[in-house]
Amino acid sequence: MSDKNILIRDARRYMLATDREYGAEIHSYLPELCNQLKAKKIERRDFLRQACLLGMTATTAYAMADVLTGDAPIKSAMAATPKSGGTLKVSMRVQEMTDPASFDWAEKSNVARFIVEHLTRTQADNVTVPYLAKSWEASDDLKSWVFHLRDDVTWSNGDKFTSADVAHTVNRWLDPANGSSNLGLFGAMVEEGADGKKRGIANAVEVVDGQTIKFNLKQAALAMPENFYNYPTAIMHKGFGKDYAADLSKTPIGTGAFKLTDFSIGERAILKKERDWWAGPFYLDEIHYYDHGEDTNAWVAALASQQVDMIYRLPNDAIETAKRLPFVNIHEATTAQTAVMRFRVTEKPFDNPKVRQAIAACMDHQEILDKAFKGLGQIGENHHVCPIHPEYAALPPLKQDIKKAKRLLAEAGYPDGITVEIANGDTEGSWMTDACAIFKSQAAAAGITININKMPSSQYWEVWDKAPWGYTAWTHRPLGTMVLGLAYRKGVPWNEVAYDNPAFDAALDDAEGTLDVNERKKKMALCEKILQDDAIIPQPFWRSVFKASNKRVKGFQTHPTLYHQFQDVWLDG
Amino acid sequence: MPQMILRRIGMMVLIMLVVGLLLFMINEGDPRLIARSVLGPYAQDGQLDAWIMQHGYDRSMFIRYFEWVARVVSGDLGDSIIYKRPTSEIFWPRLANTGILAGVTFVIMVIIALTLGVLAGMKEGSPQDRIISVISIATTSIPEYASAVVLAGIFVFWLGWLPGTSSMTSGFNVVELILPVMVLTLYGFGYIARMTRASMAEVMTTPYIRTAILKGLPYRHIIMKHALRNALIAPFTVIMLQINWLLSGVVVTEFAFGYKGFGALLLEAALRRDIFVIEACGLAAVFVAVFTQTIGDIGYTYLNPRIRFK
Repeated sequence: MSDKNILIRDARRYMLATDREYGAEIHSYLPELCNQLKAKKIERRDFLRQACLLGMTATTAYAMADVLTGDAPIKSAMAATPKSGGTLKVSMRVQEMTDPASFDWAEKSNVARFIVEHLTRTQADNVTVPYLAKSWEASDDLKSWVFHLRDDVTWSNGDKFTSADVAHTVNRWLDPANGSSNLGLFGAMVEEGADGKKRGIANAVEVVDGQTIKFNLKQAALAMPENFYNYPTAIMHKGFGKDYAADLSKTPIGTGAFKLTDFSIGERAILKKERDWWAGPFYLDEIHYYDHGEDTNAWVAALASQQVDMIYRLPNDAIETAKRLPFVNIHEATTAQTAVMRFRVTEKPFDNPKVRQAIAACMDHQEILDKAFKGLGQIGENHHVCPIHPEYAALPPLKQDIKKAKRLLAEAGYPDGITVEIANGDTEGSWMTDACAIFKSQAAAAGITININKMPSSQYWEVWDKAPWGYTAWTHRPLGTMVLGLAYRKGVPWNEVAYDNPAFDAALDDAEGTLDVNERKKKMALCEKILQDDAIIPQPFWRSVFKASNKRVKGFQTHPTLYHQFQDVWLDG
Repeated sequence: MPQMILRRIGMMVLIMLVVGLLLFMINEGDPRLIARSVLGPYAQDGQLDAWIMQHGYDRSMFIRYFEWVARVVSGDLGDSIIYKRPTSEIFWPRLANTGILAGVTFVIMVIIALTLGVLAGMKEGSPQDRIISVISIATTSIPEYASAVVLAGIFVFWLGWLPGTSSMTSGFNVVELILPVMVLTLYGFGYIARMTRASMAEVMTTPYIRTAILKGLPYRHIIMKHALRNALIAPFTVIMLQINWLLSGVVVTEFAFGYKGFGALLLEAALRRDIFVIEACGLAAVFVAVFTQTIGDIGYTYLNPRIRFK
């Protein structure tokens, strides 16, 4: 019987005991949570996230959810027995890998993830579960977070993993001299100094004991567990950048099972399993990353000639080609990756809400998704909260309304129509130009002439927060509140809209301060409505991402941010 | 002759300096762009200003240019932004890889092109000439990005005979060289073949060839001993120009097959604004262009002693 089946059996036995309050010994709220899942008042994903947050281990939470929802027998019957051993070969860019705190591409973290690990792990189903931290709890005001660390983890140099390592890592992030983007991610632990530079607040990181660490925040923060699984947030050994140089590729000391045996930027990264993994079996013996350049055709060709078993990303235009390869599996991940046609509300004519509303009213989201992205995603709702976010609240569907657009334009003082320009750099692919072109034709019906100012992607990143109107891509984040806080709160660095709405900020503060998902959903509905009504970000769609692998690769699930998690992956034949 | 060589080398240095200045002005003319490239798209204005001051980019561009020339001459090509290593550590191995690809292609391409060119030019207007001419024109008209896709479609996706990429991940593998060499040869041989054919056809109509034929010399002897040397003068310049094309023109092919060469490095650097790598690659391309031209000129005077450059 596999480990997972034993867990399911134990969970079922445990739950068979009558008048027992499920999980009450772990947290008093857990029985209520279990009842809600059983009564289908909450989704499985919400249950998993909250159960983990309340201190239940991920494996127990998953097993319990399987039993509560009745999924378990089907899944275990379908699962094949994994085989140990073998080398997984992946085509992916191999970039520099010096300091994980300053990583700016997910590819870098994919190599590093098998050497150094994170406090938490957001899984392919968008649920964040314990990892190096076995559990955590937050104060009621969400201003202090305590993480309890596993005590059975050691570093590859033999040292024990303790809270000193976590404190050293987080303090490095908060030191502006290290230039880590985590300074923005953990804004609740950051203040602006007299010199105008951002730095960590005093006593932000508090070592309680060898395996317990506490984070003291200046304001409520809901997404601490999720933030600890971002690509620049790997936990480093306490000597990193202090006792030895901050270069992971040269001194790859980590808590993971793998050792970096060969590393050449732009060419290859070879990882070999050198010890047992603390988290259980890791079936693969070796993971090889090969760099085949920027041309996505070359990646697909490498898969076609079986030079590799998997490619980092399958571009949309190659899906049909990959489908014709009989030995290839295509994996889709629904994500919160998107692009928004955001207005800068301080610039004319977009400072007039009626102009923005008129333009937004012209959008037929489904048509843009179907034509520009072959329907491979979900339609957007102009508020940047995705249906896969746990706190997503469904609002009445948006409909294209040309009459309304004309009326609003006339009221705004443009009865004869208006000419506007959208900046686009195709930063995520040529589908962005296609989306602009389709929207241009949709808006023409209302007398709105859209000129597309197409520019190289590097040039777009020069103007992304300055252009009066631009099409900006945003990556996936596990919580809806995370992206709203980063992008639309007054004065934050990435507020490309120059949005300044006290009502929205208050609604977002309220949502961010609410742990209960159902309660937070109600509060998020208000945030979403405000953004939709203000029409600051016409958002055509959320896009799916695709990966392709050889059929001999088993147990793989695509992560929404294309992070590589190979702990369940094994090779058949 | 030595005087001429010295003059040509002097010209080479002058051209390199002028092109180097243009390259420098384009890449390092705007310090904010450099700071943006180094610090990334999300860097704030204050960070950009601080970087510019710290690295001396607030000084006059001409002072910076002469400093740059001094550094380049001493072998310091600056640090790559993408690779976070000295550019020279990446640049030379990549140039060597392109050297291998270009060298193999060059040999195969020249042999095929000269053979076909001579065969076509021997009997102008014959079916043999027409077939070779049509093939040469057709293959030269297909750009590398198209032939790379077509050949990969046939040999990788359909027949499954050849590896789809040529990144030599498990060490040098001659099989991985086949597709890129095929693409480059297909595109490049036609031009040389056409030039050789034209030159050969012209030589074949000259009185001394006619005399040789009338004297009853064996046809093979006439072609090899009398016609070929004279017929090769014009294609020689084209062949020298092809070396230049092979270095800077391999970008598309290297990119398409993930070959770790100079062309792919240049393209990647250009896409990500890795300015010091762009400058190093730009200088190398200019050097090869000027150098092959000089060699071409010298070779030309050797093949045809009537030609003199002043």
